[in-house]
Amino acid sequence: MGRFSLLGKSRKVGVVTEKYPFKPTELPEGFRGKPEINVEKCIGCGACVAECPPNALTMEDRDGYRVIRLFYGRCIFCGRCADVCPEEAISLTMEFELTSDTLTDLVQEVKLKMVKCIVCGRYYGTERHQRKIIEAMKSQGIELDPEIMYRCPEHRADTGAKLIGLRRESK
Amino acid sequence: MIKKSIWVFHLNSGSCNACDIEILDILTPFHDAERLGVKLVGSPRHADAILFTGPVTRQNVDKVIEAIRAVPEPKYLLAIGSCACGGGIWHDSFATLGGVQKLYGILKSMGIKPPKTIYVPGCPPRPEAILHAIAYLKGIVTKKVKRTIFEEK
Amino acid sequence: MTRKLMAKQNIGKTLEVILENFRDAILKYEMVASNKILLHVDSRHLKNLTEYLLYSLKTRYCTSAGVDERPLSEDFKVYHIFSLDADKAFIILSVRAPSTLLKLPSITPSIPGAEWAEREIRDFFGIEFEGHPNPKRLVLPDDWPADVFPLRKDFKYNLKDVPSKAPKRIFRAPSKSEYVVPIGPYHPALHEPEYFRIYVSKGEIVDAEYRGFGVFRGIEKLAEGKLKYNQIPFIAERICGICGFTHSSCYCQAVETASGIEVPERAQYVRTIMLELERIHSHLLWLGVACHLLGFDTGFMHCWRIRERVMDLCEIITGNRKTYGLNLVGGVRRDINEKAKAKIIKFAENMCKELRELMDVLLSMGEIISRTKEIGVLGKKDARKLCVVGPVARASGIKIDSRVDHPYFAYKELSFNVPVYSEGDVLARLMVRVDEIYASAEIIEHALDKLPKGDLMAEEIDIPANVRDVAATEAPRGENVHFIITGVENRIYRWKVRAPTYNNLPAVPYMLRGESLADAPIIIASIDPCFSCTDRITVIDAETGKFVSNPFKWR
Repeated sequence: MGRFSLLGKSRKVGVVTEKYPFKPTELPEGFRGKPEINVEKCIGCGACVAECPPNALTMEDRDGYRVIRLFYGRCIFCGRCADVCPEEAISLTMEFELTSDTLTDLVQEVKLKMVKCIVCGRYYGTERHQRKIIEAMKSQGIELDPEIMYRCPEHRADTGAKLIGLRRESK
Repeated sequence: MIKKSIWVFHLNSGSCNACDIEILDILTPFHDAERLGVKLVGSPRHADAILFTGPVTRQNVDKVIEAIRAVPEPKYLLAIGSCACGGGIWHDSFATLGGVQKLYGILKSMGIKPPKTIYVPGCPPRPEAILHAIAYLKGIVTKKVKRTIFEEK
Repeated sequence: MTRKLMAKQNIGKTLEVILENFRDAILKYEMVASNKILLHVDSRHLKNLTEYLLYSLKTRYCTSAGVDERPLSEDFKVYHIFSLDADKAFIILSVRAPSTLLKLPSITPSIPGAEWAEREIRDFFGIEFEGHPNPKRLVLPDDWPADVFPLRKDFKYNLKDVPSKAPKRIFRAPSKSEYVVPIGPYHPALHEPEYFRIYVSKGEIVDAEYRGFGVFRGIEKLAEGKLKYNQIPFIAERICGICGFTHSSCYCQAVETASGIEVPERAQYVRTIMLELERIHSHLLWLGVACHLLGFDTGFMHCWRIRERVMDLCEIITGNRKTYGLNLVGGVRRDINEKAKAKIIKFAENMCKELRELMDVLLSMGEIISRTKEIGVLGKKDARKLCVVGPVARASGIKIDSRVDHPYFAYKELSFNVPVYSEGDVLARLMVRVDEIYASAEIIEHALDKLPKGDLMAEEIDIPANVRDVAATEAPRGENVHFIITGVENRIYRWKVRAPTYNNLPAVPYMLRGESLADAPIIIASIDPCFSCTDRITVIDAETGKFVSNPFKWR
């Protein structure tokens, strides 16, 4: 009879239940798990913050530090942050067991020191980012003058204009 | 922590159904949550825990509050998916509240104590991740995530 | 990259015929692409032109989109989209509503299927449609104030503290002989928050009212106000967790055709293979749910056992079981390597074998046959008038399929079987979906065979501003239509999504006519409703089998 052959099928297929959570489960390569920021490589440029669709990555400048905050609770595990990071500092790991009884445990914060403009004293970027730019230009054979380098974008524009003989009113 | 079997009630407050399909998946033989004592019940009055999905759309707020109030103490709420935990990709839309924390704000202003909550991030979380949350409720496994702060010296 | 604007032979002739007959109605026309015409119409002639398109040219109505074009100094516009399947073309009518007088003639008296689209435009923009038979709120929450229109450009997408009005009572109280059975919004049989209000008298259903759209999250406003072009595929995928990849593919296709971006062939094949895997997954899911509703839980468990392998396969290819995150404008992010290819072929063979065994059992069971054969019949004429799409249409003898009518991605180069049955009952809809699973397995095998080498992402991605375009894909439930207007600064100006269930739900009252209450769940489930759209059951008097409330007269 038709339906009783399903009993035979069930017996043939056997028990398919996984042993998890009593034994670990196998994950395929390329699985999109929890994102993690490599604190040594991150330069605080904010490319990941601009790209994240649900704003799980946020950036705040506070008391001379740039704070990059990754909130897994809102993360959609799309991996766009890893796609756009110029330093490959953020990547998706294989962790998926993210259960927590508080939202504060679902956070990774990275605080990076910022530099001040030598003209106006405003904090404008992270030390790491500035160092990276100087190194990159050095490898191209260009030595950057710290007088010009450590300025906020507004005052750097003034200097640039002066160097090529233009006047510019700074705000 | 719950020592005995957990009876769950599924509450969809406006999700896209991916998390709901994964919840149905843990009741099928591959992941079989019934090994851990989980049973799906039809009424919130019979439930121990609520499986909550969705970013709480504005249309559903009052109905969700009524359903949560109907669950007798002691009650737990498992916020499943990134929509329930933090509002997901809809967190700042005009049509949603933005996750269970915002809902608890409303409950507190009404004088109702919010239930004890377990958060399960993921979009959608794997069935094993939901099983991990249930096993955590029963005390079989320990929590793995912790808040990490790095400050550059 | 310039787009070719040469008219294809047929569509050029059609355009000429329309221009000849409606010289004063058409203010301006343009060929958006070689198979898409955009006509700017004088609103006084809208009704005549619509009826001409429907009855003389035999087009099919897709959807209507409202747009606030005041920043582009064009006031408000409404776009009505029609599909001319015979020519593989789209015809878009655009009418202007000046901001001083937001009134337009309604096309609902001629096309009952436009009722919801116009109610939605009224909710979001405040445009009144004269002659609309049922101008009530459709989408917005009950407590939303009546004079705040979310999709206008002066409303910010993240305004959370819109004041809450006390909800207006929209359901009627039962009369003396009636008893109200409320189902939902949280009910064990429902997965989504919807509310059915059934009035029962003497043990029979005499009236039913429905309030849906509990899942309204403001997708279109978020896309316009906040997200960049490459972030929208991720929100599109989360419109529906089951057929999300079709939505993100349709959006990417619309932007790519609007900008003339050439997507590399390998990326198109990868998209096609993933679309077919999603179709298999969705139909197996539906088959399990249908067995469960018929009372055959063993069948449900076996279907979902077969389906589990698709999820594992997708996880290997894309990194996630659902919401693949594979699409970006211009291509895909991940590739199908040789190992994955071998696994897909093995899976397709195994799945077909297992499904055949299961179907042998299902079709040999008298109970399943008697509960699905000649139940919930939708005749071909009714199906055509209601403009149903997808397996519901193909089970009633109408051969429409976006993969053939508006070919896209690799479907242009693959030949495949489109199953059509003519009985129109629940069994026919079941058989259409099962046959589609076998057809999808074949498409996947052919596509893997022909998978060309190459890049995964287009080289030049340059999106011009202010271009209107429309794209369609075949989701597991039917035809998906996305209408876009591109914007500036990496943001889209307008994005309108019409999911297939929107067109299929009005067919449910016709199928329920004269059936017993116990058959109602399987009949409703047989259209495979994705309740992100709403449902509306009109009143059926079970005794006489007549409609008690349906204001339309069908021609």
